[in-house]
Amino acid sequence: MTMTPEKLFEILDKYAKTKGLQLNKDKSLVFELLQGLLKNEERYGYRSCPCRLASGDKQKDADIICPCIYSVDDIREYGRCYCGLYVTKEYNEGKIEKRVVPERRKK
Amino acid sequence: MLRRVRLYSLSTCPTCKKVKEFLKSHSIEAEIIEVDTLESGEQWLAIKELRKINPQETFPTLVVEKAVVGLDEENLKKILDIKNDNDS
Repeated sequence: MTMTPEKLFEILDKYAKTKGLQLNKDKSLVFELLQGLLKNEERYGYRSCPCRLASGDKQKDADIICPCIYSVDDIREYGRCYCGLYVTKEYNEGKIEKRVVPERRKK
Repeated sequence: MLRRVRLYSLSTCPTCKKVKEFLKSHSIEAEIIEVDTLESGEQWLAIKELRKINPQETFPTLVVEKAVVGLDEENLKKILDIKNDNDS
């Protein structure tokens, strides 16, 4: 079964709800991110964050495989994850100020 | 004043795409460097260059290089944000 952005949307939408989160209501952003995830899965073999440069080494990039390990703190502090795929209900309702999420990953 | 604009970008990143659209809509000529699509040697060089100005190596990063040639005090002041004496 080849994964499509539409199928991935259904899966991740359900997954987000199990975590008490939502996918960003900006559908065009979400579908660009999903295409990015699938492109990274195709070329690297794992769904590396579309907004970070993957090394191609799955072990080295374990922290940025979506959902990245930084998303918990980012969502708590900014209402969204680094790339904006996962957000809180309040974020989607516009109750949270939209700010650039700084990179937590150590170089 | 000479100027060079470079955008360090990822082909999979929507925010990078928005910055590219911003540059286009303002007719800004820029070198777009899609770092994730570069071959490993080129990618290593691009990251080395990016790291000089953005140690965190995050994307998008827009770099604007300006140069003033010769003793052109007006442009030297402009490029170095030096206020004129009579400016308040």
